Amino acid sequence: MTKRKSVRILALGLVGASLALAAAAQKHPRDLGPAPELKFKMTKPAMFTLSNGIQCFFMEDKELPLISLEGLFKGGSLYEPAGKSGLAALAGQVLRSGGTKTLTGDQINEELEFIAASIESYSGRRYMTVSGDSLKKDFDRLVTLYADIIMNPEFRQDKIDLARNQTLESMRRRWDQPMQVAGMLFNEKVYGPGSPFGRRATPASIQALTREDLIAFHNANYAPNNFYLGICGDLTMAEAKAALEKAFGKWPKKKVTLPEVASPVETADGTIYHAAKDTPQGNVYMGHLGIPQNSPDQFKVELMNEIMGGGSFTARLMKELRSNRGLTYGIYGGVGEGSGKHRGVFQIGSQLKAAKFVEAVETVKGIIKDMQANPVTDEEISTSKNSLINSFVFRFEDKGQILSQYMSLKLDGYPENYLETYIDNIRKVTKADIQDAARKYMDPAKMILVVVGDDKLFDKPLSTLGKVVPVDLKALQEAEKAK
Amino acid sequence: MKTFRMFRFVFCLVVLGFAASAGPLAAQNLEEKVHARTLKNGMAVLLVERHGAPVFSTIYGFKVGSVDEVPGITGTAHLFEHMAFKGTPRIGTTDFAKEKPIMDEIDRVGREWSLELVKGDRADKDKLARLRADLSKLEAEQQKYIVKDEIDVIYSNVGGTGLNAGTGTDQTMYIISLPSNQLELFCLVESERIRNTVLREFYTERSVIQEERKQTTEASPARLLSEMFMGAAFIAHPYNHSVVGWASDINSVTLEEAQAFKSKYYTPNNCVLAIAGDIDPEKAWPLIEKYFGDIPRGEDPPVLRTVEPKQLGERRVRYEFDAEPQLMIGYHKPNFPAKDDAAASVLASILSSGRTSRLYKDLVQDKQLALNVFAGAGSPGARYPNLFTFNASPRFPHTVDEVEKAILDHVEKVKNEPVSERELQKVKNSLEAQYIRSMSSNMGLAMTLCRYQLLFGDWKLYLKYKDTLAAITAQDVMNFAKTTLTAENRTVAQLIKKAKTS
Repeated sequence: MTKRKSVRILALGLVGASLALAAAAQKHPRDLGPAPELKFKMTKPAMFTLSNGIQCFFMEDKELPLISLEGLFKGGSLYEPAGKSGLAALAGQVLRSGGTKTLTGDQINEELEFIAASIESYSGRRYMTVSGDSLKKDFDRLVTLYADIIMNPEFRQDKIDLARNQTLESMRRRWDQPMQVAGMLFNEKVYGPGSPFGRRATPASIQALTREDLIAFHNANYAPNNFYLGICGDLTMAEAKAALEKAFGKWPKKKVTLPEVASPVETADGTIYHAAKDTPQGNVYMGHLGIPQNSPDQFKVELMNEIMGGGSFTARLMKELRSNRGLTYGIYGGVGEGSGKHRGVFQIGSQLKAAKFVEAVETVKGIIKDMQANPVTDEEISTSKNSLINSFVFRFEDKGQILSQYMSLKLDGYPENYLETYIDNIRKVTKADIQDAARKYMDPAKMILVVVGDDKLFDKPLSTLGKVVPVDLKALQEAEKAK
Repeated sequence: MKTFRMFRFVFCLVVLGFAASAGPLAAQNLEEKVHARTLKNGMAVLLVERHGAPVFSTIYGFKVGSVDEVPGITGTAHLFEHMAFKGTPRIGTTDFAKEKPIMDEIDRVGREWSLELVKGDRADKDKLARLRADLSKLEAEQQKYIVKDEIDVIYSNVGGTGLNAGTGTDQTMYIISLPSNQLELFCLVESERIRNTVLREFYTERSVIQEERKQTTEASPARLLSEMFMGAAFIAHPYNHSVVGWASDINSVTLEEAQAFKSKYYTPNNCVLAIAGDIDPEKAWPLIEKYFGDIPRGEDPPVLRTVEPKQLGERRVRYEFDAEPQLMIGYHKPNFPAKDDAAASVLASILSSGRTSRLYKDLVQDKQLALNVFAGAGSPGARYPNLFTFNASPRFPHTVDEVEKAILDHVEKVKNEPVSERELQKVKNSLEAQYIRSMSSNMGLAMTLCRYQLLFGDWKLYLKYKDTLAAITAQDVMNFAKTTLTAENRTVAQLIKKAKTS
């Protein structure tokens, strides 16, 4: 008995000691004292131009025996002629798969995959990208194939048919996921179906494309003077220059003109587009047009977005809709930048609890209105500034990332010192600036809503939110099939 | 420039990363770079120095996932992962002493409410409403003391990025990347969380997870198909339910059950921490010892007793959904480190990795039966015997039956003809490159090392596995195919497009 008791006391003593120890180390982070100073120097790629005008960006990275290429051509789906929707995407795909004058696509696949290297090509709205990477020991072969694909594509018919059939199948499947459907319809409604920003390729437009279209697209856009080429990895700048000059030097210049693109026009009028679908949540995108790239208000807007709907749980939308009310797994949004001088989109998207759908949308509108009516709190502005400023270093975590960030800033026309002045620009923003930006760039009355879901599950009729226009999903799908 | 992320998620499939047949130099490099220690309480810690930018990435995991759940509490590992962001007695509150009694009351009322709720149609509606109202009142009372999402706020302020966590069948992992001057803050916050998570706002978070299930599973044809497929392939073993859990269980699990689950598995002796990046091990070790070293060791986690019985015949699932058709096929197979597991990895690669793989070339490119087709060797987890799987989407007008038959023709072929030396060499070359590329990011590297240490007890198995893979012969692949890819060991699930409704 006594013995047992003493054992127990000993045990208690030990527990007590470990608790005391824990208490010594464990405290609230605010009591931790200042962190050591962070030493950090920004690095930039070097630039050089090849004899035929290709602008190159170079970043050395000796850590691992790897080399990568990232090439951009200006052009893309925005510039497609009417009736040729999907041309840029199809050409981008078949540029790689269709082989070159001397090698079939299958031969290229076999060779690249055997040495665990890759070359991929695709087209976006404003740029066509061709990327490549390999082990250092295989770089000579990589760059040779890379240049051959870019300069001498053959666009063989069998690979055009394959890419076309794959695209058509993907189009059949784009109606499968309700949130994807909502996104697709929102993009069309917010820009208008006639706008190059709002139109989407259809099975009919894909089926009409020919090999001649693809060849013409290549001739018009892929030229050294329209080419921006990044190279990163385990080689010196002299080696990079020599390799690229050898691969591309004989490629002749030619004139490239991109047609003017009509800027999007604001048509948002508060309409609610409802596509009925048997699915458990209310899938919604809401918004209207946003701001152009490199706008003078960009830093105000960046902080406003961060506080209202940025990626963190500290943002108001996430805090209120998810953390406080449990109405969604996630909600994000903000005023977005467009392409160059063209305005982007202000949008908020979420998959909301159907039984509280209308309440949730009203809550979102309330959050926007509050951003306009009242200044944000001291804590909000300081946390969001600290977050952007202190995480800035992560933009330089990886050499390849530094390279592509620098290239896109340059191509999108940002000032040369954008990164050097970024932190100061964020510091300067005031609470009044954020409130001004909220008033200037968001209008909850004008926002259109695209809702995909079963409104019988909703808490109130959708019409309590405004004028409802039904969208018939089955008819849209049937119309695509018919052509 | 910002991309939006979904926070606190479910790892839908844990495909165990291939280790590699790396050259001796690369392997040696990594061995020199990794500093490993086990703290006195059993917590394993791996540090990797990579002095590029002044940042580091961390991941720590507990060997607990949905495979450790039993019927009634499915989804609890994932639910607890969400709760781990709600704070501690020091973080997330203005006055824990005042908050605690309210939480105890929430626990009591919440349990009663949940038990009534689970009765479904037979529940007493008045009682439900009364309890829900009581609960809301208590929750409002507690809100007076809550500092919302303070862990997020703390890390945001110092520039932390990618704060997140993921739950899989086998493990639960927590991640954050920080500027390199914030190591002590990391140690403080995370040792706090491991020591003592306070399950604040439990019932609101349960509601978030109900929405997560609807969003990621019920509205997703592929995930729904996978859930039904696993349910058919495993009749006894807990790999048979999805990580997010069944709706009924999510709706009824109590705070007390979540707490009990946590105490069983969230112990330092069931935990691995890996940090990669700009850190100085000489300075890091004292901090790690100081904050994590005295977390009390726990009991060993319980041993899972259920073994999946041998499959005695083909199982088929077929269901209709408002989406284009999809197909899954699976065969039971041994898991890591069995030689057959390595043979399966090699075969999966030969069948579907890249445009020169057999299934891509034949089904996607030549016959154009399918939009895509994938073979995998590690679903749905790696701690226990798992499945060799195929996933495919037919291309209209071809059907799931046609695609199934075409895949099975390839299965027969590998049983009867050895794969070529060139195919084997291609897999080995790709593994070598993959190994080198795996060292190119702090988080990727930390994640790989953490996973091997956590699931298999030694990060060096990542290096040793390369020898096993490099030694796989055409005969090994054929033996694996003959013994495992048989009709009676097969499960097939087909999603069929729902016939038109009005």
